[in-house]
Amino acid sequence: MAETHTVQPGDRAIAYLTLTPSAAVLLLLVAVPTITVIGISLQDVGFGEMSGPWIGLENFAWALTSRTFWTALKNTFVWVFGSVSLEMMLGLGLALLLNRTFALRGVARAIILAPYLIPTVVAVLVWRYMFHDIVGILNYMLMSVGLISKPMVWLASTSTAMLSVIIVGVWKFFPFVVIALLGILQSIPQEQYEAAEIDGASAFQQFWRITLPHILPVFLLTALLRTIWTFHKFEIIYLLTGGGPLDSTTTLPILVYIKGFADFELGRAAAIALITFFILVVLLAVYFGFMKRAEARQ
Amino acid sequence: MTSYDTAATVIDRAPPRRNYEAADIHFIASRAMTYLLALTACTVVGFPLFWMVICSFKPATELYMSPPTFLPQQWTLQNYRDLFLQTRFPTYFLNSLIVAFGATLLSLLVGGLGAYSLSRFRFFGISGFSTVTLFCYMLPEVLIVIPLYIYVVQFGLADTLFSLIVANTAFTLPLALWFMRSYFNAIPVTLEESAMIDGCTRLQAMWKVTVPLAVPGLVSVSVFSFNHAWNEFLFALVFTSSERNKVLPLGLATWIGQDNIYSWGMLLASAVLVTLPVLVFYLAVQKRLVVGMTEGASKGE
Repeated sequence: MAETHTVQPGDRAIAYLTLTPSAAVLLLLVAVPTITVIGISLQDVGFGEMSGPWIGLENFAWALTSRTFWTALKNTFVWVFGSVSLEMMLGLGLALLLNRTFALRGVARAIILAPYLIPTVVAVLVWRYMFHDIVGILNYMLMSVGLISKPMVWLASTSTAMLSVIIVGVWKFFPFVVIALLGILQSIPQEQYEAAEIDGASAFQQFWRITLPHILPVFLLTALLRTIWTFHKFEIIYLLTGGGPLDSTTTLPILVYIKGFADFELGRAAAIALITFFILVVLLAVYFGFMKRAEARQ
Repeated sequence: MTSYDTAATVIDRAPPRRNYEAADIHFIASRAMTYLLALTACTVVGFPLFWMVICSFKPATELYMSPPTFLPQQWTLQNYRDLFLQTRFPTYFLNSLIVAFGATLLSLLVGGLGAYSLSRFRFFGISGFSTVTLFCYMLPEVLIVIPLYIYVVQFGLADTLFSLIVANTAFTLPLALWFMRSYFNAIPVTLEESAMIDGCTRLQAMWKVTVPLAVPGLVSVSVFSFNHAWNEFLFALVFTSSERNKVLPLGLATWIGQDNIYSWGMLLASAVLVTLPVLVFYLAVQKRLVVGMTEGASKGE
């Protein structure tokens, strides 16, 4: 915790006054909407309407009994698990690599960071061009090395769409893991490695006994943070496939959008959004609990 | 910098060894491995961006060629020219700038003030408010887009840039509050206190001592807010519809899939141009960016 002032007269007024605008904005833009969305989820909102008769939990019952919802839930888990596990593995590998000294390391770091900084729409445009079945470079490369015999329709086939979306997501977001882990790797005291070296520990033993225990808390925290963010990612999937083909990449956020703003059934959309939110709250509770513990240890 | 190459450490620091040759071979092999891996990683990760830039300079005939040409046989600026002369790209660009700067300014003014209080005082409810802030930052957009859409329609703000500025603030403000709080935390309280002993009031001390020291923090928070609003897509998709009010991500998104009208060349050229402001900002705050980006994960305080 940071140091605070010794309290002086008038401080209380200043503290609350400076906080009021922020509190007001968050109240109007986050708290009130959250209450509104709960209200909407309990109403039967017709096509293109903004409100409707109260129907209790019917929208939730509809969601939990509809096949679309369960497909979306399953897709969400595939998307989150696939993306986060690959991001963590790739992120750890490249963080270890960038932690070594070599010429042009700054350049390498900039290149590896770049995907995280570019706008999502840009990432999507480039990858859609590369994924293109006829003029795309990906099919051309894979065919010239003989991995595939005929061009694949990456984004338009139910069997490869999810994989393709995960590839783009991992490419775009793994640099976050690299940066997070690079920070903690550089804080490991070098003497520990030197001592291990003298004792004849192999590189693998050094990683297992020194590096891993040291970075583990940050590694887990980063994985959790990536899970939360990946869970409610919308635009990267929407722009790549729109949730298709045939629901194969429809995750919960995509389903909320489709229900709310393509089918214009705001009540049902709100119900799905709230279920999504409940799952997220569980993840957030774990995250905050974890952070409290990490803070207590410091 | 505290990192050393482990192999190099062996040579530099380990007690003298008999077998110099074995150590040399180990050293060279390890170096070669490092460079090989780094080269591979950079090639694979960097290729899509390289391809984007290269292809934006190719004429249409080459873009639709199968197999594709690697480097353009003929470099051209035609795609960029078309973008400005035949499309609404300049309008989208201007709209994006307005929305991104608007949201950034708003969250900086409101959030900077609030963050000072979060950092410096421990009255009732203040540390609770910090937690709420972080929670808001992680709220899914799809949850609040539904009610915000209803408000926007009811207040007659549909299809305006103003609605986007306000909606973006729902996310850039928590970000500003949370990050600015840690920047303020890093500035010693004693500086303000000695200013107050010299006769400053609390507000004068804040304005004359703390704020100037927090400028680097303010700059990097601006970059984050700007980047967030510049990227934001869902609110734009739901709130705005007319060509006049489209921001870049929405404008480009509607071109995707219409490659009979908008050629890949134009799309890739626009992708390059959308990336440019982000790149400029990145170069400006490179060092701080790395610190800021990991703030959430490692929570350095």
